[in-house]
Order: sequence, then C-alpha cells, then structure tokens
Amino acid sequence: MSSSRPSRVPSIRSRLFRYMLLPLVLLLIASIWADHRTYVSPMYDIFDRALSHSAVAIASHVHKGTDGHLYVEKQDPGPPLLHGPGEGPIPPPPPPGDEPFDRDRPPERFDPEYRPMSWMRLYSGAHENFVYRVSEADGTTLAGDDTLPLTTGKIIDNLTYGETRHKGLYYRLASYHTVVDGEPIVVTVGETVHRRNTIVRRLDTLVGVSDGIQLLLVLGLCLFGIRIALRPINRLRDQIMQREPQSLQPLPLDPVPSEVRPLVTSLNTLLVTVRDSTLAQQHFLTNAAHQLRTPLTGLKAQLEVLASETQDRAQQERISRLQGSVDRLAHTANQLLALARAEPSAHGPSDFVAIQLDALVSAVIGSMLDRALAHDIDLGAECEPVQVHGVYWLLHELLINLVDNAIRHTPKDGNITLRCGQHNGAAYLEVEDSGPGIPAAERQRVRERFYRAAGSDGQSSGLGLAIVEEIARSHRARFEILDAHEGTGARMRITFPP
Amino acid sequence: MRILLVEDDPLVSDAIVRGLATAGYVVDAVTDAESVQGRLDTTHYDLAIVDLGLPGEDGFTLVRRLRRDGSPLPLLIVTARDGLDDRVNALDLGADDYLVKPFALPELAARCRALIRRATAAAANEMVVGGLRIDLAGRRAIDDTGRVLELTRREWSILECLAHHSGRVVSKERLIQAIVSWDEEISGNAIEVHVSRLRAKLGDAATVRGIRGLGYRLDDA
Repeated sequence: MSSSRPSRVPSIRSRLFRYMLLPLVLLLIASIWADHRTYVSPMYDIFDRALSHSAVAIASHVHKGTDGHLYVEKQDPGPPLLHGPGEGPIPPPPPPGDEPFDRDRPPERFDPEYRPMSWMRLYSGAHENFVYRVSEADGTTLAGDDTLPLTTGKIIDNLTYGETRHKGLYYRLASYHTVVDGEPIVVTVGETVHRRNTIVRRLDTLVGVSDGIQLLLVLGLCLFGIRIALRPINRLRDQIMQREPQSLQPLPLDPVPSEVRPLVTSLNTLLVTVRDSTLAQQHFLTNAAHQLRTPLTGLKAQLEVLASETQDRAQQERISRLQGSVDRLAHTANQLLALARAEPSAHGPSDFVAIQLDALVSAVIGSMLDRALAHDIDLGAECEPVQVHGVYWLLHELLINLVDNAIRHTPKDGNITLRCGQHNGAAYLEVEDSGPGIPAAERQRVRERFYRAAGSDGQSSGLGLAIVEEIARSHRARFEILDAHEGTGARMRITFPP
Repeated sequence: MRILLVEDDPLVSDAIVRGLATAGYVVDAVTDAESVQGRLDTTHYDLAIVDLGLPGEDGFTLVRRLRRDGSPLPLLIVTARDGLDDRVNALDLGADDYLVKPFALPELAARCRALIRRATAAAANEMVVGGLRIDLAGRRAIDDTGRVLELTRREWSILECLAHHSGRVVSKERLIQAIVSWDEEISGNAIEVHVSRLRAKLGDAATVRGIRGLGYRLDDA
C-alpha cells in the first residue's frame, strides 16, 4: 500500500492543483497587461497636457519690443517645485535662458503630500531634464536651446506633440503654435520620458503585486476547496483501510460521491464474484472430500475385516500390502484436499479467528501422540501462551504436517519438540526433531509439491511441506527450515506477522 | 452392547458391522436418518454412529433432533468432511465425539469403547480403564486381581481426573486444580512426585504416561 517514493504516485489533489496553477498564472499575466493598457494612455495624455501648459506659459512671456523684435521676458523664477499631473496649479514657467535643472533634487519646500515609499526608490536616480525653445515661423530661435527640433504633425488646439533623442536623452516634446503681437511663434518644450515611464512602472508594480496577492488567495481557496471536495474519497479510503484484509463484504454506497460510485460498484461486483467463487470452491472441496473418502473408508475397513477373517499367511501378507497402498492413497487424497483448502480462495474471511497457539500445540500432540509412541519417539512441548489471528483448522493441518514430517525423519528413540511463543514481538511455532536434518541446498526444494528427498520412505506423498508453505503464505507467515538447537536435526519455524 | 449405525454407503456400513462384531458389539445398520426413530422406539442402544453426509435429512439435523428430544444416547459422528468448523459445529449440537474418514477399524472400536465407558460411568458411577476398575462412589480403585489399591487422597484425585479423560492428555495445571481444594500450595514438582507414586501403585493395570511439557495421559496398559 504505502510507497517509499510518494512523489511517483499521482495524486488527484496535486493534479488538480497543477492544472489550475498554469491557467491562473496566465490569467495573472493577462490581467496585468490589460491593466497596463488601460491606464498607460490616459496617463501619458495628462503628462502631455502638463507639458503643453508649460509651453503656453512660456509663450505668455513673449512680447514685442519697441524695436519690433520679439523678446522673451526674463523673470526671477520662484523656487522650483516638483510637480506632476494633477498636483496643484500649473507650475511657473522655467526661467528662459537657465540651464535645465535637475528635477531629482530634493524639494526645497516641504510638501506634505509627497512621501516617497521605499519601493518607489527602485526607479529613481535617472536624470530628469526640461528643455525649451522659442522660435519664429521662419525657424529663428528667440530663446532657449536652438538645437531642439520642432515637432511636426497635425496641429490640434494649436499644439503638436512628438518624441526625439536630444543630447543623449529621450524627450517628449510639445510645440505651442501661437501669435504674439501679429508675429507667429512656436514655443517647443521637452521633458525627459524617464519621469512618466517611472510612474507607469510604479503602477505596473503595484498592479502586479496586488494581482499576485489575489492569485495566491485564489490558490489558497482552491486548495481548501480541493481538500473539502476530496473528503468523501478520503473517507472511502479510510473505510477500505479499516476493513479486515480478507473481508469480502461489499463496500457501502451511501457516502460515496457519484464520480467514484462506478468504481465502488465494480469493486463490489468483484468482491461478490470472489465470494461466490470461494463458496463454489469450498462446496467443491466438500463434495470431493466426500466422494474420495467414503469409498476409501469402505475399502480400508473391508480389507481390515478380510485380514482378520483369513488364516492364510500368504493371503494376509497380500492383504497387508494392499492396506499399505490404500493407506498411502488415503494419505495422498488427504494431502491434496488439504493443499486445495490451504489456497486463499478456499477459505473466507470469517474463518480467521483468534487462536491460542499453546492450545493448538497440545491438541496436535494429543492427536499425534499414538503415532509417535508407535515409532518410540518422545513427543513433547515447550510452550508459552501466545495468540495469533488465523484459520484454526489450517494451522492445525500445518502443525500436523510438520509433526508428521518430523516423525517420518526421526529414528527410533529420538525426540520431537513443539514450541510456541513470541520472539521480537512476533508469534512463532516451531517443530524440532532429532533426525538427520535437511542439507541447506535442499531446503528450498523440499517445499515444492511432490518433491521427495533422497532416502525418504515410500509412504511420503511429497506434499507435506508444500502444504505447510501454502498455509504459512495464506497467513502471511514465514516458513523457515533451520538447524536444530542441539544435534543434527531440522527445526521448522513458522513466524507470524507481528 | 448394542450400537445403531446410520451410514448410507453399503461398503462402509458392512465393514463397520463386521469389524465391530469382532470387537464384541452388536451393530444394527440403517441407511437414512428417517428410519432412526423407529429403531430407537423399539430397541435400547448404548451408542449411535452417525454419518454426516446422509441422503435426505443429514447427520447435523439428526443430531440436533435427537438432542432436542432429550435423548441421552451417546453419539459418535463419522464424516468425510475435514473442516474443523464442522467438527466444532457437530460437538456444539450435542455429538459426543467425531471421527474423520478414512479411519482404521481399531480406532473406531476404541472411540466406541471410550464413549460407552463414559456413559456407563455416569450411570453406574464406575469406570474401567485397562485392568483397573474405578469405583467413583466408593472412591476406590480395584486392579485386575481384585485388590483394592491403597491411594492417598491426592493420588485418588489425580487418578479420578485422569480416568475421566482417559486416552486424552490432561495438563499439569488441570491436575493441580483437581487437588487444590484441600491443598492450596502445590507445585508442578509435587504433582510429579504424586504421579510417580500413583504409577508405582497402579503397576501393570494401567499406565500413566508423561507427556513432556504438557501433562499426563492415562492409557489402558
């Protein structure tokens, strides 16, 4: 069930999350872009208007002198103010003839409205410049920077706009076409684009951060929703995990959501099929046992009667050989039935009960004692009380087969000891004999069906240890063949899962 | 001693009738459960041997019916089914013992003897194990020569407990419980001492066999 590499196991939750994450990120990018498009052109319009106001203001300072030439009035400018669109009245015009001033200078007058936030500093530091040129219709420069190009294009409200690269900086230009005392003039002003770009970038950052936070909130909600939505599936998982591993009871359909219902329904169909086939198998085995054993009983009993009725030694000898064969046939039939019954399909989950191993050992010794005594073998036990979960008659069969195998391989006056107890938290059963033991090379092969070790008697069916192996497996127990604690014999050990 | 056999297989039935006759029993055989009642109404039986897999009414139903009607007849079940749940089921229903096919006739005869002995003991307060006659009412044991064995109270209790379960292993703990009522402090070693004294007194009449790590079993000889 549990995997050591959980990252390899696909989970619905992580799939859902992955499939939602990609569209959500795309949506975030798209919404930032759309927001950017929405505010960038009104923003630039406002900056352009502010720029054009400067041009208009400069134009108001142009007068015709007494000599008929146009002059630009020189005035003492007030302290320069940092200003932006919508920030108070139109700023006073810059002093003509002055060098472009640095707008990044700290304000000399305290402005309570202006509190730069720390993140805004990310975009500061570039040079801000303001340039202007007042020219006549013929292109003669009256004042300002005469290298500044004029803007061309359609005149709207006496204004034209344009962009240029001037003295290594990018400028946004606005030209104001007006007439002063009958003389047409053009006032061109320019400011570096850096300022407006900074504002846009700040807005972009704000929008990006707020949309990002929204995305994280949505993702959190999604995770929460997925968790809630998957709750019925988790409940189903818990229900399945709490069941007995061998349980064939159908799963309840009640709390199962409609998406998973077909899965549970087909699982239930499978469980019913398995249960039916288990019942059919058990039924078959009962019938097979009856059909095999009844005639064998008749044959065996008739031979015994026949042997007691005849006085002829030769005939008795022949009958005795027949009896040996019938016994072997009966033994093999029993073993085959036991092997078939040991298969997992032949017993239901209701057969698994709590079993006291010490009681099982004494029951098996009780039924095998006469055989052991007939072979002059001392059969004994060393038991501690211990309990396992299993099928009683299968474990009984397992132990009978181990003892039967031990009796076959233990010489006269030998001994066989059955043990049970707990070792490292796991219950175990052990059968130790004083026979010749099993060489390490043979220990795997003796568990195979119909394998008969060299030197085994003619009575062995070669199924005993295969039955033990099968029953151990159906109990998820481990079957080991070890060396005896003392002497040369074998020690068969069944270790149950803790 | 008269035994009623309910078995549908003619070969098995015939062999049991002949085999038990050699052991000194008179056996009446019927082939189905329906004819059992008629036999019981007219004849006294000491034991019934019932096959579980009968045609028509099966052995389980027959056992349940007999016990429900209050019949004290000892019942020995013979079956081809080896599932131990069947065994538990049959014993729960009121059968006295259980034998799985194929069995040897001496084994069947031994089971019959044990069942009849137990039933007789309950009725006559007397048990016979091998050459030993155990008088439960008189609390004494008589060997095959007619001599009354001189047993201490503890030895008697051990013998009584073993005789009640003769042929089966009785655990040491159970023997301690059997004599603990007048002797609170007793160890496993003390039991061994009592048993070895009892063994010496029994002589050849019966054998108390020690089973390493488990307990003792009383055998016929």
